[in-house]
Amino acid sequence: MKIENAKAQMRKGVLELCILAILKNGDAYTSEILSGLKSVEMIVVEGTIYPLLTRLKNAGLLTYRWEESTSGPPRKYYVLTENGALFLKELDKTWNNLVNAVNQVISSKPTTHE
Amino acid sequence: MNKTININLGGFFFHIDESAYLKLKKYLESISKSLSDDPQGKNEIIADIEARISELLSEKITDARQVVNDQDIDDIIKIMGQPEDYSDGEETFKETNYSYQTNYNSTKKLFRDGEDKILGGVASGLGYYLNLDTIWIRLAFIIFTVFGGFGFLLYIILWILLPEAKTTAEKLQMEGTPVNIDNIERKIREEFNNVSENLKDVASKASDKFKEGANEISEKFNTAFSGKQKKNNGFQEILDVIVSIIQTFFKIIGKIIGVFILITAASVIISLIIGGFSIGSIEWLNVDENFLHYPPFFYDSIIPSWLLTILGFILIGIPFLLLFILGLRMLSSNIKSIGKTAKLTLLGIWIIALLAMIFAGLDFATSYVQNGEITEKKPLQITANDTLVVKLKNDETILFRHNLRRSSHKEEVFINGKKMAYSNYVKVDVQKSATNESYFIVTKSSRGKNKMNAKSNAEQIKYHFTIENNTLILDAFYLTDFKNIWKDESIDVTIYLPENATIYFDESSKNFLYDVENETDIYDTDMANHHFIMTNTTLKCTDCEAVLEDKNEINI
Repeated sequence: MKIENAKAQMRKGVLELCILAILKNGDAYTSEILSGLKSVEMIVVEGTIYPLLTRLKNAGLLTYRWEESTSGPPRKYYVLTENGALFLKELDKTWNNLVNAVNQVISSKPTTHE
Repeated sequence: MNKTININLGGFFFHIDESAYLKLKKYLESISKSLSDDPQGKNEIIADIEARISELLSEKITDARQVVNDQDIDDIIKIMGQPEDYSDGEETFKETNYSYQTNYNSTKKLFRDGEDKILGGVASGLGYYLNLDTIWIRLAFIIFTVFGGFGFLLYIILWILLPEAKTTAEKLQMEGTPVNIDNIERKIREEFNNVSENLKDVASKASDKFKEGANEISEKFNTAFSGKQKKNNGFQEILDVIVSIIQTFFKIIGKIIGVFILITAASVIISLIIGGFSIGSIEWLNVDENFLHYPPFFYDSIIPSWLLTILGFILIGIPFLLLFILGLRMLSSNIKSIGKTAKLTLLGIWIIALLAMIFAGLDFATSYVQNGEITEKKPLQITANDTLVVKLKNDETILFRHNLRRSSHKEEVFINGKKMAYSNYVKVDVQKSATNESYFIVTKSSRGKNKMNAKSNAEQIKYHFTIENNTLILDAFYLTDFKNIWKDESIDVTIYLPENATIYFDESSKNFLYDVENETDIYDTDMANHHFIMTNTTLKCTDCEAVLEDKNEINI
């Protein structure tokens, strides 16, 4: 098992949460989402995001609109739907629980009862 | 200097190097392969990716006249990630990942090595592939070139078909893990494990589904249909596994067949080359004899024999050359196709050769449609009460055989270094002369394209006889041009005798008498060693009691 794979798997699981969270702050087009994720090193290569966006869109969690651009062809702006907002709330809750749980496991003292 | 292409990528316009274009195209294609099967989603994703790539490129290419090169595409791929990075988090596309990796990492491929070459780097490429020192491969090529010239041909074919390892990836593939027995065994075992694991997996799934289905049937009769549906799915998966087993099996079988095709085609081409050389050289040197027999086709045609040899070589050689290449491609997926133009050219040459051969064949077939004869009348000094002795004589110095007594049964012989056809098809008959004269007529008959041609062929038949006192000594054979060896030719000797003349058939004439009429209908072979007298109608035996008794006994 390679460490890189383990890390990537871990990140992949919370990627949906991150995308939804970025869109909650306002509509964004792909490059903006990407730079948001890359700046915090949530993704290493950009390719990962495309299938994910399409899947979220197909699930009705987000939608998009076309917006004219000053430099080049129109851009695809992603928008969070109501369903998406609910979904995000749930994921957010789970994430907080998960962080607590994982931290507890990691920081717990070894063999307390003997 | 590089050719550039104009492309429209995600609404942007780019000049791009041809090699960079191919790289980008390949990249997008492999992404498309690694994505899920839903075509609509796929197109959408690809469109998004293209848009993003065009955005990244236009950031790099600030000047519209600037050309996108290989390095730019490499940078883009670094940012965007390898095709397998595109696979969806939830579903894994094991197979596509696997094939992508095997293509680029683990399997070894056959290339020409441009860095270590004397001619084209074929030998060093093969050396990497077979894990042998290059010197041995070179030695093998030289040995096969000296003995039969095949090594040279093989080298040229491989030189044309094998790509040179240019990129680092290709060089790595060329040098990759050697193909040896251990690896082949490991590979087969891996593949087998894969299949058996799949089989187990599917079997357990299927049995679950059977159970499910059965439960549903027992619980609710109405849902029987859905149960059945599920069973069908189980069957479907088992079928898939069986298909993949068969595919693996055929892959291995395919390699074996490839080796067979390769060996067969190679040996045919070698023998063609050897055969071609012998027709060319041995024939001219007159060494031939019984070593090789070519159809007289080669001698009796308006197309010269050397051209016919080349035509024959093309006619048989080209299909086997293609088979040879097919065999190579079955063995290694890295062998290039020879290309459409080359294929069409070969096909064209082949068709021309075929037409020429058909023409030669028709020309040959029509070369004996007509019959032609030459007759020669010779007087004999035989009157009534005289006795004519008929003997047939073979020339043992030409050929010891003297039983070639069928029209097309001939043997090739050499007369003063000239190749000729030898036959014993000489027929002797006796008739009553209408006058008091005695004479005999020799009829030479042959065949040809037309009457004239047939006649001139007949003239060329060499046949001799001598008359010594009252003895007629006929040759038991005739000689003809070698090109006429397949033609129906014959010598007919008809002796005309007046009434009361006697004829004696020597033992040597026994097998040459042909349907000789006589009063008591004695068989031709029984007439030898007997005297016959010419009556007013036909021959009558004067010393045939024994023969006649035998004959009567048989009749009773």
